Amino acid sequence: MATTTATVSISSGDLQPGNNLSINASSTLMKTGLTTGMELMEMGNAEVAKDYEAQLFSDGPATDNGAYWIYICNNSTDDTYYIEYKVHETTIGALYAGDWMFVPYNASDADAEIEVKALNGTNKIEYAMFKTAWTLPAAEA
Amino acid sequence: MATLTPTLTLNSADATSDTVNFSVTDSLNVTGDVVSLSRVALSTSDLTLFASASYSRSYVYLKNTDSSIAMDIDFGTTASFNLAAGEFAFFPWHGSQNILAVADSGTPVLEYALWEA
Repeated sequence: MATTTATVSISSGDLQPGNNLSINASSTLMKTGLTTGMELMEMGNAEVAKDYEAQLFSDGPATDNGAYWIYICNNSTDDTYYIEYKVHETTIGALYAGDWMFVPYNASDADAEIEVKALNGTNKIEYAMFKTAWTLPAAEA
Repeated sequence: MATLTPTLTLNSADATSDTVNFSVTDSLNVTGDVVSLSRVALSTSDLTLFASASYSRSYVYLKNTDSSIAMDIDFGTTASFNLAAGEFAFFPWHGSQNILAVADSGTPVLEYALWEA
């Protein structure tokens, strides 16, 4: 099964005098439990107009127990543009121009859909979902 | 004002025939409080990691350092995600709900940091 590695590095040279910040964390994307694997990537880009609330990732069925991760980046270049992101109507944070996020995602939770809303301007976003358990739907009769 | 530079990289040589090699970076202004890189052992009772009353818009880094036990990260009472063994997350946070952490079992150690924008 495929091995996919996610790495985040966070650095700063001026946060604390004489103490450069350098965080490096790496994680292999696992199926539920500790089995290596990633079976599907969904990715795309979209424009989200001011005040438009879009569902970026829908919640899955309760049997959808794979491990998932989502990536969202606001590719807008105007630094006054931003989007809020929500998990099931709960606003968690805002992505300003250039900001990105990478978090796990509870697809099997019926209250876990991911929504975004542009608060200023028409924001250009890119997004991806990484799934580790995916069964192709049955062909229609 | 300090500058924080987060970079995300995703790599896979065998997910598909087309190698996954993806990287994105950002430059963030830090003007408020900083919670330096820290670790805490969780339990199966909720721990308030960051109280909404204490922070405004911030950037949060979390990593489950345990090799087998997962943990839930909750935002107030309605929204959550599950951080499996070894996984990390980096995300902006409004500071409008508390961030709580609870272990699925045992006492896994959560690594965390916060930078207020």
